[in-house]
Amino acid sequence: MSKQADLSVEFLGFKMKNPFMLSSSPVSNSAEMVGRAFDAGWGGVAYKTVVSDRIPIIHPSPRMAAYRPAGKRQLGVQNVEQTSDRGLKANLLDIMYLKKRWPDHLVMASIMGFSNQEWADLAKACVDAGADMLEVNVSCPHMTVEGSGAKVGQCQELVQKFTETVRNSCKIPIVAKMTPNITDITVPAMYAKKGGADGIAAINSVAGLSGIGADDWVPSPNVFGKGAACGFTGPAIKPIGLRCISELAKCHDLQLPLSGIGGIETWVDALEYLLVGATTIQVTTGIIHYGQGIVENMIEGLSDYMTIKGVKSLKELIGKALPNVHATHDFDLARQGIARYDLDRCVGCGQCYVVCRDAGGWALDWDAKKRRPALDEKKCLSCMVCSFACPVDGLITFKEMPKSYRRAETVTLGKELETQRRS
Amino acid sequence: MPKAPAPFASMKKGFDYGQAVAEAQRCLLCHDAPCSKGCPGGTDPATFIRKLRFQNLTGAVRTIKQNNILGGSCGELCPTPQLCEKECSAAGLDRPIQIGKIQRFLVEHAWATGFNPLEKGSARKEKIAVVGSGPAGLSCAAELAKAGFGVTVFEARARAGGVLRYGVPSYRFSPDFIDRELKDLAPLGVKIQCSKPIRGKGAVESLLKKGFAAVFLAPGCWEPLRLKVKAKVRQGVFAWTDFLTPLKEGRFAAIGKQLKGRRVAIIGGGSVAMDCAESAIKLGAKDVYLVYRRSYNEMPAEEDEKQDALRQGMHLLLLNQPVDYSTDAKGRLKAIRLVRTELSKPDASGRRKPVEIPGSNWELPIDVAIEAIGAQPARDSIEWSRSMKLSDGNLITVNPDTGETSVKRVFAGGDIVRGPALIIEAVRDGKTAAQAIMKRFAKKENAHE
Repeated sequence: MSKQADLSVEFLGFKMKNPFMLSSSPVSNSAEMVGRAFDAGWGGVAYKTVVSDRIPIIHPSPRMAAYRPAGKRQLGVQNVEQTSDRGLKANLLDIMYLKKRWPDHLVMASIMGFSNQEWADLAKACVDAGADMLEVNVSCPHMTVEGSGAKVGQCQELVQKFTETVRNSCKIPIVAKMTPNITDITVPAMYAKKGGADGIAAINSVAGLSGIGADDWVPSPNVFGKGAACGFTGPAIKPIGLRCISELAKCHDLQLPLSGIGGIETWVDALEYLLVGATTIQVTTGIIHYGQGIVENMIEGLSDYMTIKGVKSLKELIGKALPNVHATHDFDLARQGIARYDLDRCVGCGQCYVVCRDAGGWALDWDAKKRRPALDEKKCLSCMVCSFACPVDGLITFKEMPKSYRRAETVTLGKELETQRRS
Repeated sequence: MPKAPAPFASMKKGFDYGQAVAEAQRCLLCHDAPCSKGCPGGTDPATFIRKLRFQNLTGAVRTIKQNNILGGSCGELCPTPQLCEKECSAAGLDRPIQIGKIQRFLVEHAWATGFNPLEKGSARKEKIAVVGSGPAGLSCAAELAKAGFGVTVFEARARAGGVLRYGVPSYRFSPDFIDRELKDLAPLGVKIQCSKPIRGKGAVESLLKKGFAAVFLAPGCWEPLRLKVKAKVRQGVFAWTDFLTPLKEGRFAAIGKQLKGRRVAIIGGGSVAMDCAESAIKLGAKDVYLVYRRSYNEMPAEEDEKQDALRQGMHLLLLNQPVDYSTDAKGRLKAIRLVRTELSKPDASGRRKPVEIPGSNWELPIDVAIEAIGAQPARDSIEWSRSMKLSDGNLITVNPDTGETSVKRVFAGGDIVRGPALIIEAVRDGKTAAQAIMKRFAKKENAHE
C-alpha cells in the first residue's frame, strides 16, 4: 500500500491538490515562506492579511507567549500578532510572484480595511495582483487599530456592509473569516452571506488570557508591563473550532463552503474538521510549534486512512459526521451503561479510586492489600472520569448494561435531620 | 515443536500505544536529526517518531518497513545504545529516546491492525537466487521482490530466519515474532524453499546455469570456532551451535538433561556467550562460570546482556585463559585448566591484550563446557564456487559498494562476508546487493531499447 489517495478538493471553484492551507498569520507573511510551504506539500494559502499603508501597523513586543499549564508544552499560543506590517506594495508583489510561480496552488488574499473605501481598494488591488479569492478578515480579536478586526465581526451590520463593499469591488470568490468570540457564530456568517460572501472561514483566535505572572501580575505576553485579552490558538481551541464549523455546516439557511481553522496539527484533526463540514483546512499554530513539515504527515496519514476505508474522494468525507451531531435533548436516555475494568492490566496506582470518590459516584472500593479497585456496578454513574485518570490505555472502557439495569441512588446523609425537624 | 519450558517462553513485552506515544513525546524532533545518521542500515528514527507524534502510524510503519523488512526484529535485537540512541539529542537533557522500543511497537501495532506497506513491484523476467534466509538473505530477497524480480530463497535448515530463528534464545526473541515478521513478506511473493542446502562443488555456478540471473550468497557463519586443546574429551564439551540451536529446535529435554544440577563453564565474552550462560542457568545448571581472558570492559557483549546474565546468577571469571580440559578415565569432562592473565598494551582490536601470568595455572572443576568464542563459514564453503575470491578465514571477498564477488552475477553479504556482525549490518548488505543487482539489470534493459 504505497499509492497516494486522491486528496484533491474543489473550494469555490478552485481545484486544490489537497485541502491543506496556511492560514493568514505569521506563517504566511511572505512569498518566501509560502513558496517553501507549497514545495513542502501545502495546497494553498490564506495570505497574511494585507492592509493599506494609511495606518502603519506596529507590532507589540513581544508578540506571543506559550500556554504551558503545569509545564505541559505546545498546547496553545497567546498572541498579539497584527495584520501584515509590510507595505502594501511588497505584499501585492509577493502575491503576484506566488501566482506566477505556483499557479496550481490556491492563493487567497486576506484583507482588512480600516474604512469602507479601504475594503474596496484592497479588494481591487489583490485581484489585480492575481489572488484567486479574498478572505475578509473581520475577526482578529486584538487589533491595535481601534474599531477593527473582531470589533467589526461582532457587529453584524458592519460584517454585511464591508462584505458588500468587497463584493461590489470584484468578481472573485469571497470568504468571510469569523470570530468565535460571539454567542452564535451563524449570525454574523448569515450577514456575511447577505453581503455576498461565497464561503466562510472559522475560527479566528479565541480571546483569552492564558497566563498571569505570579510575581509581576502581568498577563502574558508581557508587553513592557501590560497584558491584554488577546488571541489564543492551538490544540486547546480545537473543540471550539469543531463546534463552530459543525454549527455553520448545520445552519439551514447558510449552506456555504467552509474553511476549518483551529488547533489542527495532525491528519486526524484535519479529518475531524472535514467530517463536520469543512472543505479546506487552515493551519498556523501547528506550524508555529513544529514547522511546515507537518503537512507531510497530514497528507500521508489522510491518504492512508482513505485507502484503508475505501474512500475514493475527499468529498465523500465532508460533513459525514453531521448526521451524528445532535442536540442533547435527542439522546436516548433509556439506554445506560457503566465503566468496565480489565483488572488483569491494572498496575495498582489507585487514581481511579481517588477520582471516583471525589468526582464520581463513589462506586469503587479499594483493596489496600491487593492494590486493586472493585467496582460496585449499581453505583457507577458512567461518568468515565476513572478512565481519564487511569494510566493504562484501554483498561477502563464503557459498556452498555441490559435494560433491567437500575442505578442505585446516591446515599443521603441528612435523612435523620428530616425526622429531627418533624419531631 | 515441543513447547518451550517457562523460563524460555517469555520474550520481554514491548511498549503499548500509550507508552510509545509518551516516549515519542520526549523526542525533540531535531532538525537534521542525528539519530537517523546513527544506523548502519539506514534506519530513519527521526521520521518514524515524528510520524508517530503526528498520529501518522501507517506512515511510521511504512518508513520502517520500506527500509528494513526486519524492522520489528531489529527494534528488539539491535544494540541501539551503541547506534541510533547513542546519537540522540535528548541525552543532552536527560536520557536518549528508546528508539528500538518505539520501532518494535510500531511494527507490532501494524500487525495488530493488519497494515502492511510492502507491495510487489510490476513483474520482471529475471529470476534471482538467494542462498540463506537470515537477515541478509531476506532483505535482499524483499528488496528485489519489491522491484518486481522473481526471487527464490534456498534455506538449508527446516525453517526460515537464519540467526533470528536458530541463533537467539527464545526468551530474548520468540519464534512467533520472527514468524510474524516473515508473514509480512507474503505479498512480495518471495519463494522460500526450506531444507534446500546449496552445497557441494560448483553449487554457485550451477545456480547460474539453472537460469538464475544473479545469485546472492548469505549462508551466514555457522561453523563454531573451537578451543585448541590437547585433551581428548568424549563427553561434556559443546560448541555453542550444538547448544543454542537444539534449544531453538525445541530439544529442551535432551539438552537440559546434560546440564541440570551441573557445573558449567561458558568460554567467551560476546553476546553468544551471554546467551549460552543465561540458557544454561535457565536449564537448571548449578553453577555457571563465564570464563573470559580479558576484563569486563573488553567483553564484546552488550552491557544489558552482561547485566542480565549476572542478574540471573552467572559467575564471572575474568582474566583467565582456558588452556586445556581434563577428563576422567572414560573421557568425561572433569575440569577446565586455566591460566590467569593480565592486560598489557592494546592489540589490533583496540582492546588491551591478555598476557598469561607464568605459574598461575589452576583447574576449575566442571561437568560441562560450552565454547562460544566465535564462528566461521562452513568448512566446505570453499568448494561452492570454483573461482570465488576468499579472504582469510574463508570469508567471501566482495566489492563493499555493490556486494559483488569475484564471480560475475554472484553477490554476497552478511556474516559470510564480514564474519559475525550485527543483524542490521546484514540487512544493509542484502539491500546493497539488491540495489546493485537492480542497477545491473536496469542498464541491460536500457541497452536493449
